Amino acid sequence: MTTILKPTLTGTEASMPLSAQTKHGLYNSYSSMLLGYLLEALKDKQAAEQYLVEIFSQLEFTDIQAITKPGVNTYCQLQMIARKKLSAFLATVDDCAEPAKTSQPRVISGNKFIDMMSHEQQTVFCGVHYHGKSINALSAELEKPEAEIKRILKESFTIIRNQRNDTATVHR
Amino acid sequence: MIQQQYIDSGILEAYVTGSATEAEVEELMYMKAKYPEVNFALQQLELDMEHIAQTMAVTPPAKSWDKISETIDELILRPEYDPKQFEPGAEKTNYQNFRTEGGPQFIEVESESSHMRIHKTWKWVFAAVFVLGKIFLGCAIYFYLANRQAQQQVEELKTELRQLKK
Repeated sequence: MTTILKPTLTGTEASMPLSAQTKHGLYNSYSSMLLGYLLEALKDKQAAEQYLVEIFSQLEFTDIQAITKPGVNTYCQLQMIARKKLSAFLATVDDCAEPAKTSQPRVISGNKFIDMMSHEQQTVFCGVHYHGKSINALSAELEKPEAEIKRILKESFTIIRNQRNDTATVHR
Repeated sequence: MIQQQYIDSGILEAYVTGSATEAEVEELMYMKAKYPEVNFALQQLELDMEHIAQTMAVTPPAKSWDKISETIDELILRPEYDPKQFEPGAEKTNYQNFRTEGGPQFIEVESESSHMRIHKTWKWVFAAVFVLGKIFLGCAIYFYLANRQAQQQVEELKTELRQLKK
């Protein structure tokens, strides 16, 4: 069973101002997940940590209210903020997918979800998720219609979903 | 069903990965609000994203929070007011309506204020004092000059008398 993490108030937070408490709660719940994403996207630990600090530092109270509203997935919202912040930088990072005709190793390693995907699925999933590419850009890059790119992306998520369900079954 | 076709189209996946266009996002928000199936599918995809992130999570160094906490400024959450209390009919008793939901309500009174309130009639008193002040000032200047002129004349007369005595 998957649980949605929400910021919780700890003893040390009680002495902080309200905004700091909320931000610290968010940081406690999501910083490791966000750093993992930043690390995979940037492939540079120092830069990823720097971006993490910037993202949380620039979170304003209104942003926090918006991303912690009921019915909103806080992590996904934080990830979107991170993605926007990285958009300029991501274009310069190498693609994750292993080049089809060379023996060059993949840039992202240790990601079991990506390992389970085909080359095409890796290209699409990593392209949008880690490199901030649009469906339109991938469509032009792979010379395939946008609907096909969306289908491949959906397949990638099916693999992730199956893996998630398998994990949930094991833990049950 | 239209909602199932929409779910199968891959737009939801594009949205959670941030690659959907603005028009697609708008359409998705509409579909999400209208069809619970779309909302559920989106929630599941968001959980998938969380699952990936949890699997690949990396604990940040302790100093990261210290850097963030240095930049935090105290922000005060403004209480939410009920819009009805600002309706035209509520003007006369607005102080009674100006309250938030829940909890005891008090009218805040400043115990230590550097300002004081006085009756409006004091405005005319202050105006009269100001005008009288100006008149007295004018008189003082006039008499001062007149006095100085008179003294000069006395001095001149004394000088003439001394010259005549010689």
